[in-house]
Amino acid sequence: MPELRRDPVVGRWVIIDSDHTKGPMDFTKEDNTPTRQAICPFCPGREYQTPPEVGAVRPFNTPANTPGWMVRTIPNKFPVLSSDGILQKDGLGIYDQMTGVGAHEVLIECPDHDKGLTDLTKEEMLAVVNQYQERFRKLSMDSRFKYIVIFKNFGASAGATVEHTHSQIIALPMVPKTVLEELKGAQDYHHTHSHCVFCDIIAQEYVDKERIVLENSSFLAFCPYAPRYAFETWIIPKGHNGDFAVEDHTAQDHLAQILQDVLKKIKKALRNPAYNYYLHTSPIGYGKSACYHWHIEIIPKLTRSVGFEWGTGLHIVPTFPKDAAQYLREA
Amino acid sequence: MSQLRKDPIVGRWTIIATERARRPAAFVDPQSTISDQKDCPFCHDKTSPILFESHGVKVVNSNTPILNDSKPFECRRHGLYEIAHSYGSHEIVIETPVHTANMADLLPEQIGRVFETYALRMKTHRQNPSIEYILAYKNYGVAAGSRNIGHSRSQIMAVPVSPVRVEDKINGAKAYFDIHERCLFCDIISQELKKKERVVVENEHFMVITPFASRFPFETWIIPKHHQCDFAEGIKGYERPLADMMKDILLRFKIGLNDPAYNYMIQTSPVKGPSAFKDYYHWHIEVIPRLTRVAGFERGTGFYICPIPPEMTAAFLREVDINA
Repeated sequence: MPELRRDPVVGRWVIIDSDHTKGPMDFTKEDNTPTRQAICPFCPGREYQTPPEVGAVRPFNTPANTPGWMVRTIPNKFPVLSSDGILQKDGLGIYDQMTGVGAHEVLIECPDHDKGLTDLTKEEMLAVVNQYQERFRKLSMDSRFKYIVIFKNFGASAGATVEHTHSQIIALPMVPKTVLEELKGAQDYHHTHSHCVFCDIIAQEYVDKERIVLENSSFLAFCPYAPRYAFETWIIPKGHNGDFAVEDHTAQDHLAQILQDVLKKIKKALRNPAYNYYLHTSPIGYGKSACYHWHIEIIPKLTRSVGFEWGTGLHIVPTFPKDAAQYLREA
Repeated sequence: MSQLRKDPIVGRWTIIATERARRPAAFVDPQSTISDQKDCPFCHDKTSPILFESHGVKVVNSNTPILNDSKPFECRRHGLYEIAHSYGSHEIVIETPVHTANMADLLPEQIGRVFETYALRMKTHRQNPSIEYILAYKNYGVAAGSRNIGHSRSQIMAVPVSPVRVEDKINGAKAYFDIHERCLFCDIISQELKKKERVVVENEHFMVITPFASRFPFETWIIPKHHQCDFAEGIKGYERPLADMMKDILLRFKIGLNDPAYNYMIQTSPVKGPSAFKDYYHWHIEVIPRLTRVAGFERGTGFYICPIPPEMTAAFLREVDINA
């Protein structure tokens, strides 16, 4: 019997299609292994082909924009938002618009063209997480920005256009709708219960246990009860914290570890699928909000959205989260 | 510099690329809808019980239904989570007895009958007190989530919960009405008719626009010019002019964008008390070619990056010669 489940944060219903459930082998396999590209501007030795770097993890004796880096952040050559210019708002009759001010950066996660996040050493993976936080803090200081999104597209069907392993950072002059909805849901819950809804979700996940994929002393990885996508997996700090920017070195280390472990499991269980992940944290200036709780959402790209989902926002998920969690635990 | 535009209905911002906007021709994405009539389940299936049939339009239950009404609807709690048995119905509308893949190639009379059928099925489903929303929609082409069968059909889904996208639109329209005491959609129509830069085509009763804060390249909406909140009631007597507009825009996609995959979704008012929404909701149809992929940023933020301004796509679509 199919089930309808409601997300406790934003109140969104989803349909778990139990009559046609899919296991990891039921999704179409895609080939996402890197092919050696003749000219990749992200490879070491071609630093001059990219805009000058804005951040890097590199030894002190190597100058900027030369080889030797572990992680390198550059402005996107084709930014969707531009970092110079003033924020100007206009009304056109009933329509509102503003200038496309923001930042759009590319974070090259590793110099080696043939490697992905799952191939990195512990030290290299930590460097990626360090760089996420460093760029996040830098961009937070620009008063034009209200929200910063760190995200990754891996594989063509998840929207990646360059195969050299990378993440992206976009700073926005407003808080995006999905985040506003989560914030509002968390605030409403806090108002009624005087608790953080995410902390209560963690507590319930420990009671139910069946949706937990992995944990370490700082983080929990689990498949949410009312996911939008098959094998959707969240990584969430166990201790209450609304702000990614204040996580300390130990937490970064633990995050690097659990993120890589979950990605390895997804790669193994689902045969190297395309995926997206993105980090949800409080808007800039919210500080240590009592209600919000930052987390990472990882979404393997296994199915296509159809008209029904576009028309209603009601997602149809072909895999029970408890089964997805079990496949991932055992991978 | 790119632009940020806010959708006046749901308040969602979109990034519209202007400077490095892709040219309309860069989006062409041909579908390979080669499929054999002899394997077509809609040409040959004699087994599914027919729920409705009229003038070559047939409605059957989906043979892979996502929802069914074999058990009464009931909501319960599991700790802080809410759960219900899936309840509702999932029907397939076979739009023509002839093995034709794209609705663009049907006669307007036949498309009109399809809309009439939607309205009749909606009226039937809403007599069920557990049903909150009925969506009639179409997936055409693999990239739009359709199986490659090559026989034009659409689907009707009746669900027992109120979907978020519909609630967002209702809430936005209500907030506007509370301030202005006018329908937001009617105001959009009158503003669009002033400059017409985003109007693709219109007739006496309907207009086709590319919305100001489009999420997708070539996203278009068909909106009735006269205020009407409910599709099933509002369509009565206007099936043909709506069919003309639908055929027109689908032909523009087919010819101008080389037969792309597309979805359309009828955005009508919820079942419960159309009387409550009748002043401020205004039904419309979203028709969206599937030309780009949704990436991590869009999924994570609900914030879309549209690689071409809607004024440019409207101009491109207006110039497509559909009589060629």
